[in-house]
Amino acid sequence: MADLNVSRRRLFGIGAGIGAVAAGGIALSAAWARRPAETGDQLVSEVPLPQAFSIPLPIPAVAEPVSSGDDGDRYEMVQIETEAEIIPGYQTRLWTYNGTFPGPTIESRRGRHVTVSHRNELPVPTVVHLHGGRTPASSDGYPTDLVLPEGWAETAAHGHGGHSMTDDLAVVTNVQRDYGFPLDQRATMLWYHDHRMDFTAPAIWRGLAGLHFVRDEVEDALDLPRGDREIPLMIADRAFDADGQLAYPSLDPTLTGEMGVEEPYLAGVLGDVVLVNGAPWPVHEVDSGLYRLRILNASNARHYELEAVADSGERLPLTQIGADQGLLEAPVRHDTLPIAPAERYDLLIDFSRLPVGTKVRLANRLGTDRTADVMAFHVVRAGEAMPIPETLADDLPSWDRADAAVTRDIAFRAGRMDDGRHGWLIDGLPFDPNRTDVTARLGDTEVWRLIADVHHPVHLHLVGFRILSRGNAGPHSHDAGLKDTIALRPGESAEIITRFDGYRGRYLFHCHNAEHEDMGMMANLEVV
Amino acid sequence: METLEAVDTAAPPGRGPGVRTAVSGWVLRVAAALFLIGGYLQPVFAGVYLSGDFDGLAMHLMGADTLSVISIAQVGAAVAVWIRVRRAWPFWASLALMLGGVAQYFAGMDGALWLHLPLGVTLIAGITVVTAALWMRPLPRRVKGARTDG
Repeated sequence: MADLNVSRRRLFGIGAGIGAVAAGGIALSAAWARRPAETGDQLVSEVPLPQAFSIPLPIPAVAEPVSSGDDGDRYEMVQIETEAEIIPGYQTRLWTYNGTFPGPTIESRRGRHVTVSHRNELPVPTVVHLHGGRTPASSDGYPTDLVLPEGWAETAAHGHGGHSMTDDLAVVTNVQRDYGFPLDQRATMLWYHDHRMDFTAPAIWRGLAGLHFVRDEVEDALDLPRGDREIPLMIADRAFDADGQLAYPSLDPTLTGEMGVEEPYLAGVLGDVVLVNGAPWPVHEVDSGLYRLRILNASNARHYELEAVADSGERLPLTQIGADQGLLEAPVRHDTLPIAPAERYDLLIDFSRLPVGTKVRLANRLGTDRTADVMAFHVVRAGEAMPIPETLADDLPSWDRADAAVTRDIAFRAGRMDDGRHGWLIDGLPFDPNRTDVTARLGDTEVWRLIADVHHPVHLHLVGFRILSRGNAGPHSHDAGLKDTIALRPGESAEIITRFDGYRGRYLFHCHNAEHEDMGMMANLEVV
Repeated sequence: METLEAVDTAAPPGRGPGVRTAVSGWVLRVAAALFLIGGYLQPVFAGVYLSGDFDGLAMHLMGADTLSVISIAQVGAAVAVWIRVRRAWPFWASLALMLGGVAQYFAGMDGALWLHLPLGVTLIAGITVVTAALWMRPLPRRVKGARTDG
């Protein structure tokens, strides 16, 4: 071997140099990388923002059916632009269902048919999807099943409104469309929102979202807080420009041409204002009793980790009784609870040990500065304590891995769209309405193994699923029950099991980071 | 100035205790070589996993478990080398790699990618350098009175 006359001092110097570079790299990563990880970039509002916990929490009004009969209830909704005062002193233009944000809440019973007639008076085509609904494909709000506004010239077959693809199977209607929901499913809180091809994210951002409850006898049999002790909370982040209008980095703000957002926001659009039921950081007066919170994260990309903290610093447990698709078998107690876009939780919170006058902050541990707050509860009078049931529902499906007809690996990751632009892909492919990605047989049980590169809240239409595992370990404590959306963290994977029953037809599964969804991260699920 | 020189050329291999690598040295070299091979397989498994093959994660975990065992074995062999060969640096280097591996393991299990990725690259570099150094020069058993500085 050649002479290696290296002085000890030099060797030491080289070793120290490499060590310093390695340590420096890790230190740089520790300082620069987002800890905890966050997928998306935050817009900064240009108006003075209101003080937290000063605006009362609005409760969305419950819609009245225009007709009710043996064959169900019929509702009419108008999709219309309106103005509302979200930030005090500013009128903000919104796209709404029936002029309110959130839209009117629909209350329904399991198995009782609901028809919602939607009339589109907005300047762009729309599509309504009932998230979590067990809905026939014709009413599931497929992204190209457009409802065109009056006078809209183009048709689906001829590049409707700048959409990147044509779809011969699309069922396009003019101005008005009846959506039919059999609602043969467990009691839970669903939500309806716009689902138009390429423009879902900005449409939801502008206000097209509302709640839809399903009730059943299993829920009725339980002694749970009711009436004004059951509070729906739609959490959504937004940002406002200098005029008090909603800021959103669309490439085409008319939402008719080029889809997508400006480059810094490709991973997701985050706002710096946290709205609950459309009000910034609201406060809600409660008594010192037990409350049921029906929480939805209707944000496009923001994840929250919720915790309830009294002004004494004491943390109140959040007792989970339900997931996306209804009640759990038994309550699960959480100190903190992560919630990804489109996920729902059914929670009980007990204020009974708190003195009147206490304020309880619903905080977001993933937030910084103002986004660390969500809302507050103000205990203003004495209430009656109520026990938390020890068992809840016994009607959860129990699927066994051994029954799975198919096991699929499905990867959600960044990549290039067909036009070379940055996008988000499922198994390496951007969404194409004309390609069937997964064919499932009606009645088959399947195991899907989902793998993510960054945060991807993965949502399946039509069915609920159970979470079998995360990575190499079991499910998390918040994974209990029946889900329709599962939040994957960067590098994380999970196994889910479901049975495809209900209806045949063309459905979707997709990432519910709404920006990812618009930029390719959807795939067709054909139930045959 | 004192130098560390390659002594392979001092005498033909296999002659005399001052030249031939001791048994403990060979155990250490083999452990380091296995550590190197396993180390380079880990990013392969990670890539397979992130490309969408769920089984890649199980392989990545199996690799991590195997590497943990090898790194402990390597530290054991390095202790023997310290005693028999009177060289301390392989022990400290192996210990550092083992501790780095523990941190890497938990960073991975915790999903702390900000640490897992740069630390993984650092560990690969460290394993490479240490393995090369171990194989570059013989690790002969020292007789009494031989140099102990190494």
